[in-house]
Amino acid sequence: MITIINYGLGNIQAIANIYNRLNIPVVIASTPDELASAEKIILPGVGAFDWAMRLLNESGMRSCLDKLVMVNKVPVLGICVGMQMLARCSDEGKLEGLSWIDAEVKKFDESKFVQKTHLPHMGWNDVMPQRTDCLFRGMEAKPRYYFLHSYYFLPKNDEDVLALTDYNGFFASAVRSENVFGAQFHPEKSHQWGIQLLKNFAEL
Amino acid sequence: MNKKNYQICSNCVMDTTDSQIVFDNNGVCDHCDTFINKIAPNWHTDEQGKSELQLLVGKIKQVGKGKDFDCILGMSGGIDSSYLLYYVKEKLGLRPLVFHVDAGWNSQEAVNNIEKLVDKLGLDLYTEVIDWGAMRDLQLAFFKSGVSHIDTPQDHAFFATMYKFAEQHKVKYILTGANLSTECIRNPIEWMYYQSDAIQLRDIHRKFGQHSLKSYPVTSILHHKIYLPYIKGIKVVRPLNSIPYVKQDAIKLLVEKFGWQPYPQKHFESRFTRFYEGYWLPKKFGYDTRRVQFSSLIVTGQMTREDALLKLKTPPYDESTIVQDFEYVATKLGISVKELQGYMDAPNKSYRDYKSQDSVYAFGSWVMKSLGLEIGGKR
Amino acid sequence: MLRPRIIPCLLIKNGGLVKTVQFGDSKYVGDPINAVRIFNEKEVDELIVLDIDASSQQREPDYTLIKNLAAECRMPLCYGGGVKTISQIQKIISLGVEKVAISSAAIETPDLITQAADQVGSQSVVVVLDVKKNGILRRSELFTLNGIKKSGINPVEFARKVEALGAGEVVINAIDHDGVMKGYDINLIKSVRDSISLPMTVLGGAGSLEDIEGLITQFGIIGAAAGSLFVFKGKYRAVLINYPDRAAKDALIEKASNLF
Repeated sequence: MITIINYGLGNIQAIANIYNRLNIPVVIASTPDELASAEKIILPGVGAFDWAMRLLNESGMRSCLDKLVMVNKVPVLGICVGMQMLARCSDEGKLEGLSWIDAEVKKFDESKFVQKTHLPHMGWNDVMPQRTDCLFRGMEAKPRYYFLHSYYFLPKNDEDVLALTDYNGFFASAVRSENVFGAQFHPEKSHQWGIQLLKNFAEL
Repeated sequence: MNKKNYQICSNCVMDTTDSQIVFDNNGVCDHCDTFINKIAPNWHTDEQGKSELQLLVGKIKQVGKGKDFDCILGMSGGIDSSYLLYYVKEKLGLRPLVFHVDAGWNSQEAVNNIEKLVDKLGLDLYTEVIDWGAMRDLQLAFFKSGVSHIDTPQDHAFFATMYKFAEQHKVKYILTGANLSTECIRNPIEWMYYQSDAIQLRDIHRKFGQHSLKSYPVTSILHHKIYLPYIKGIKVVRPLNSIPYVKQDAIKLLVEKFGWQPYPQKHFESRFTRFYEGYWLPKKFGYDTRRVQFSSLIVTGQMTREDALLKLKTPPYDESTIVQDFEYVATKLGISVKELQGYMDAPNKSYRDYKSQDSVYAFGSWVMKSLGLEIGGKR
Repeated sequence: MLRPRIIPCLLIKNGGLVKTVQFGDSKYVGDPINAVRIFNEKEVDELIVLDIDASSQQREPDYTLIKNLAAECRMPLCYGGGVKTISQIQKIISLGVEKVAISSAAIETPDLITQAADQVGSQSVVVVLDVKKNGILRRSELFTLNGIKKSGINPVEFARKVEALGAGEVVINAIDHDGVMKGYDINLIKSVRDSISLPMTVLGGAGSLEDIEGLITQFGIIGAAAGSLFVFKGKYRAVLINYPDRAAKDALIEKASNLF
């Protein structure tokens, strides 16, 4: 059973559609009660960091989520801004992140860019998994995903890097710390590679 | 009321879900009997077939001299029309215009297959797109009517459009992939009534349709069996009946030569037909068209009865995707899943519940067979 | 490294798909839902869907259609047509659409760009510039209402302006090249590309995959959008949805990128 957090942001419908087509049960939680028995959580997100953190904090589900993830160790997958929220803070905003992974979120250094097009990082890019036992299980060596973001996740510990992607230099496109997973790209909009990743998450 | 006991043919796999079926003392059904005694003796794929075909090819080439194309070929992307296209271009040297009718339900495989063939054979394509609003309305009307032949709107449009084009552009020959090899045993009329019956189509539309039929192409049996061939000189020909056509070999050739993508079952190039034949027809009426298709392959030696019986044990639809397929059909038709389920659960009707020209068909069929002008045909 | 994007662009008129030539002469292409489904199965990079008479008819976007189209997409979808307010943008995003495109609204109420960037994020705000050559000196200027109403605005200046206001992507639509299938308007593209650092997508004129290859060779990372190319085939402009398969697409991009 997958529980998708509905706090007002993110393509919940697309994620739910994929699980429906895989015949994997999925529910959408908007209140702590609906969240209480979650076995696996997906935290979607699109848009600005502060806006997302504020909506999540005001959703009423924050403390329940902290307990489920940090105490009960329920697996959670943050997608795009949902992944950035896993960090302690972001260059993009002033609010504190969830701090579920020891990391910061930084803006790409445009002075390093060689192409005329800079930000957002928009389009299909290769992802190089550092481990193949969890989210990227059973996939080809260089799966590709759709990215749409201007800030990147910088974990303190190298072991938390689950996958790397090159955009004028490598950055962590997926992370993992124990039960906390993050994907900077949009698996719900990355065709077969995304479907496989979401399936793998459900089957962990 | 006596319910007929279940019986299945000892030769093919047609059974009493065809309520008109008759068995002889050996348990062999009338479909097989018709094939053995009426169809097979008049079906020539040997030297006779070859020379008949050469004659036809000569006429087509003659008529097409100096024109951009010498005939039109109805292409759905399915195995029969695909193989026919390859054969007439590469082996017979014809220059067909590839004619495709888009009714709004093309699968990805169908468009891929048409593209690959058209590109690799270097032919021109013409597509007629049916007005989706009119098609949807008519399809919904057929669902509401409760009859079993709800694929009529697609089928009728295919033929009406091709005839109209041929008439407008003075094309004398329409080539279709219809063939005895995989279709010598046909769907009973009770399962799939004549799609060309315009009286039936208009009556169902009048009772249940909401859109005007103006932008939907309507033809009629008299128009295309008498007016077009005898007055306008437009002929529909089926070249696959004159050559040895083995389905498995045809698929293999197309896959290797063209990157053709096979379908799970016959007619599945249309998503709607896949839903209709794979789910709606068997679930609502108990009619499994695989029985008809496998039986054709059995009597022509392309499939064993054992293999057919084994395949028939599994459902004709994919259980893991049927819920989404059902939803997709409802969404396309602009109705809720609940409403579509309502039509599934409503009482079953037949073509006899609406106006029709079935007497014309019965008479015409008798005439054609008596004059030896047609072998096969529905019953 | 990031790949260039190859993007089919579908136009909707009266609920059905159409294809235009120089923004006129629309030919019926069929049902949008099935077309989007086929493109999804062909694993296209992303899709643009534009409702071309919503603005001139001054009506709301067709939310039911948008929702149904979004449900068929396992790739990003950009929707535009008649979008004028922040609540419309939010509603469209909530239906499962990644990006919302605005055109005349960007000219009439440019603050909408900033407002939308704040609320849904700039990555979801796309500004479409419909450009036509006009006047004695054939100067490029922006047009609205389906290419009928001229604005006197220079596209390069406007592109800079929307970048400053917070847009996430700019789509350049060359009206004169629309449906003609004789190549992109390279000069126009270059003039805008040199003036902004936002991701750019270009539309209008693609007649073959070679045109797309040439575009990538010249500009590297760019969105190559096309309407007619992916919807028509051959000299009779027969409707047939087509798109290069993964192997062909990768080969095209690799070849073009090596020459870049």
